[in-house]
Amino acid sequence: MPVNLGFATASNDFLIAALLIYSLAVLAFAGNYAFGRPRRKEEAKAAAPAAQLATVGGGSALAGGEPSATAAAPVPPAFPAPRPGAFRAIREAGPWVTAAVSFSALGALVHLAAVVCRGLAVHRAPWGNMYEFITALTCVAAIFFCYVLVRFRAWALGVFVMGAVVIALGLAETLIYTPAGPLVPALQSYWLSIHVTAMTLATGIFFVAAVLGIMYLVAERYRKRVEAGKAKPGNGLIARIPSAAQLDKLTYRTVVFGFPVWTFGVIAGAIWADQAWGRYWGWDPVETWAFITWVIYAAYLHARATAGWRGARAHYIQLLGFASLVTNMLVVQVFITGMHSYAGVSG
Amino acid sequence: MTDVHAPQSESQPGSVAAEGAAGRLPGGAGRPAPSAGWLRWGWRQLTSMRTALVLLFLLALGSIPGSILPQEGTDAGAVQQYYVSHPGLAPWLNRLDLFNVFASPWFAAIYLLLFASLVGCVVPRCFKLVGTARTPPPRAPRNLARLPHSSSYASALPPEAAVARAAEILGGQRFRLRRPDAGGTDYWVSAEKGYLREVGNLLFHLALLGVLLSIAAGGLFGYKADKLLVEGQSFADTTSALDEFHPGRLVSGSDLPPFTMTLNKFTATYIQSGQSLGQPENFNANVSYASSPGAKPGTYNIRINDPLSVDSLKVYLIGHGYAPEFKVTSADGSVTYNAATPFIPASTSTFLSDGVVKAPGAATGTDLGFMGVFVPTAISNNGTLESIFPAADDPAVSLIAYYGNLGLNDGVPQSVYQLDTTRMTKLSAAPHLLTPGQTWTLPNGKGSVTFVGVKQWVSLAITYDPGQVPALVCGMLALAGLLLSFFVRRRRVFVRAVPAASGTGSVVTVGGLTRSDASGGFEEEFTELAAEIAAAEPNAGPNAGPTAEPSNKSEPGA
Amino acid sequence: MFKAKRRTVVTTTAVAAVLLGGALAATLLTSGSGKASASAGDGIVEYPAGHRPLAPDVTGTSLTGSPIRLSSYQGKTLVLNFWGSWCPPCRGEGTTFAELDKSYGPKGVAFLGDDVADTPANALSFTRSAGITYPSISDNGYLVVADFSQAGVQVSDTPTTVVIDKTGHVVGMVLGAALYSQVTTLINDAAVSS
Repeated sequence: MPVNLGFATASNDFLIAALLIYSLAVLAFAGNYAFGRPRRKEEAKAAAPAAQLATVGGGSALAGGEPSATAAAPVPPAFPAPRPGAFRAIREAGPWVTAAVSFSALGALVHLAAVVCRGLAVHRAPWGNMYEFITALTCVAAIFFCYVLVRFRAWALGVFVMGAVVIALGLAETLIYTPAGPLVPALQSYWLSIHVTAMTLATGIFFVAAVLGIMYLVAERYRKRVEAGKAKPGNGLIARIPSAAQLDKLTYRTVVFGFPVWTFGVIAGAIWADQAWGRYWGWDPVETWAFITWVIYAAYLHARATAGWRGARAHYIQLLGFASLVTNMLVVQVFITGMHSYAGVSG
Repeated sequence: MTDVHAPQSESQPGSVAAEGAAGRLPGGAGRPAPSAGWLRWGWRQLTSMRTALVLLFLLALGSIPGSILPQEGTDAGAVQQYYVSHPGLAPWLNRLDLFNVFASPWFAAIYLLLFASLVGCVVPRCFKLVGTARTPPPRAPRNLARLPHSSSYASALPPEAAVARAAEILGGQRFRLRRPDAGGTDYWVSAEKGYLREVGNLLFHLALLGVLLSIAAGGLFGYKADKLLVEGQSFADTTSALDEFHPGRLVSGSDLPPFTMTLNKFTATYIQSGQSLGQPENFNANVSYASSPGAKPGTYNIRINDPLSVDSLKVYLIGHGYAPEFKVTSADGSVTYNAATPFIPASTSTFLSDGVVKAPGAATGTDLGFMGVFVPTAISNNGTLESIFPAADDPAVSLIAYYGNLGLNDGVPQSVYQLDTTRMTKLSAAPHLLTPGQTWTLPNGKGSVTFVGVKQWVSLAITYDPGQVPALVCGMLALAGLLLSFFVRRRRVFVRAVPAASGTGSVVTVGGLTRSDASGGFEEEFTELAAEIAAAEPNAGPNAGPTAEPSNKSEPGA
Repeated sequence: MFKAKRRTVVTTTAVAAVLLGGALAATLLTSGSGKASASAGDGIVEYPAGHRPLAPDVTGTSLTGSPIRLSSYQGKTLVLNFWGSWCPPCRGEGTTFAELDKSYGPKGVAFLGDDVADTPANALSFTRSAGITYPSISDNGYLVVADFSQAGVQVSDTPTTVVIDKTGHVVGMVLGAALYSQVTTLINDAAVSS
């Protein structure tokens, strides 16, 4: 079936629009940093009873995954629970946040429209080459982050996550743009949708986790410096992002969400590989790196339950996992010849 | 999965949930024999979480060279190439098994230790789980308000009845209950739920073991073979007919199911215009097959992603190319060669292909040999033959002819894709171009060659892997276990009632505790549950609902 | 304490089983190498009398188009050579078979070829040049090979030479290029038992 040029053009236009709207969102998030209300004051009230929560709940030994650093000392609360008035909360957070969240949501919608149009243009799942893959996975990341924004009121993360989305999307648009076209026979399988959807989804989620992990490291370093008396408490910039303990927990939850999706993606890939190539696992470079990524994230999950590995160390492992994922996507698939060489970047 | 290797040193005796120091070998106390002590020490080291972590890292690290260096298992040709380009380094890499990482002893050592460590943790935890399932939940703590989640309400019922009511609701939600011994003045109920978390955890780790064993089964009893087949040709699944045969350790040639297959026609379609010009759209190998010679034949269209299943094995389409047909006559006019000759594509985008034709003559030293380049859609670019499209729209071959001794009768095997010209002489300086139907009469009366036409060939992979289905089942079980262990939370809810100060009715406190709330949401569940317990009061009046000041930060009435 | 001991035993056994199973898997996972190439005097297989498999009754068409039936050779010792003109070891042993035919043909030994994965033109060009006058079945699709395989005779290489006695039982075979003496050994085996 020929490419539908109308949809193809619409997709390209939507994507440029999404990129612009995302940039506005980043600006608004940054504006919130500069001119908005600091978060700590907003939540000072809620912190007191929650400290008790942490002391009691954190003492448990069985809860391998959960206690983390909270066992040692009372810490500020986890993210506040969602309330019916999530939108009111956005409004209350000030005009900068309102604008930023609106731009993010609008951008994500337009981005989604771009992905859908691409799919309609080429009559297949719109993630058949590297350009489409990055477009789709940033869309997943943006939508997932919009959920995180509303669910956890995590506006402080916006400038980082949306900033990373803008950069990734911008690079895809400028460096590896691939015009709409049909797929080579090797990719003509419904397993493409299943496998790549899972991989895209997991990558998007791990992407958010990585950003959270980096912010954790920043916040944790600052906390340590304050403890050691090397830095003054109440740094304006740090005060605007959630506390280290909150970030730690949020990162963990994000990875816990992404890991089964990644596992499923790998299994789906194995089923597809069996159908296309006659073996479900052949240590093709891309398979090997998917395996490495899986093992590293598994190590992260275990590390969080191991004395001496919690906190920053565990986060380094998590970031290493994301690094291996990115290596797979950008280095292995493009530069190492294997059966997954469909990226369409070099050709 | 996070807590299979539970942190032993972390257990805090005073905590509500202190019984969880699993993963430790039970019965560790006593028995002072020194060698046993060392053994036990080594065992503890192996099964410790720290070791497991290190092994996980080693596994990841060890896989990296397998993705960077060419591997024997996937591309033996590339390994040979590497030997040629790195003659000094390659033998050293080979000594470290770096060209066969995933079958190397050191890689096996890593994953075997990892699995040993895993089993050493999982088996005691299975016992532990059975033990936990047999013991009732712990007694309710005295002060429920100190739990992470708690709320209280005033009940019109006496304490005993209020607790019984709450127990009914908890029991209805499939909590496991514990009540105080009869006759006391202490009114409470303990409820616990979420054992599936640990079940999932163990299931995940055991299923991984199952995956490993399935792979091993495939390696022992499975096999893989390759076959190149030209249109019109057929073959039977016997070792001599196969181009490559890689049997598992416990497989011999007599285990091959004797199916037969003929390639009727191969069709490839390509995009005809636009930016993706020449990109393949569809491949289709139409075959006739029978599960054994003489059995009822069937036909099938093998495509990429659509293999043929026959006799418990599968036949995959993994490659294709062109086989130009040549007819060679010798100087005396007799036909010495007439066959379709597979050429190997040098470019998969244009299908410019290379090949050789060997036409042995009647007497020694009268052989004809040809080196050829085949182009499916020919274009002459400054005298050089090139292909502009992968389909055979305008095919042509360019041949260089040799005369002499091919060496075929020496009895030494040689490649059908290479021409040994050491005992031959070139018949013409320039290559000769032929289109279908054209004949080239060779110089000096050495005979002639006719480019009869073009056929296509496919390369097929034939595989049998008995470990495939078990591996899939184990993979799915692992995923199920993972989901259970991540999203089921083990939680306890306690209800305690004391007589109200006013004399009638009681004050009921509900407390909640979870030890594993990775996905969050216990707070909501607890709030709902507490509200439900409070609302179940038979005479729930306006002041019998949850109190306006619960002792936790969860918001009432939500 | 007893319970604890039992658990220790179970755990240790489980771990030992995994290690053993894994070690077995690790050594066996690397599958065997590709097909071995044939060279002269590879291997001779002789079935002891009483354990000779019955050859299948194969039918086919000769390179020149006349029908061939294996059972029509009963009453004679038959030398069946699986070959192809594309296969240098087969070409190498061609003159050996021409000589064997000249020496043993008059003594009542029949010769037959099975030409696999070949075209009649190429095959006939070779038999002419090698001086082979006995017929060959045109077996493009390895069907005769498959029939023998089902009968329990693994013709696992090209060339392979199978010798069948007067009662239609397989005396033995030479895998790979055959030497003159190897074939005569099998011919003598066939004569002795029947």
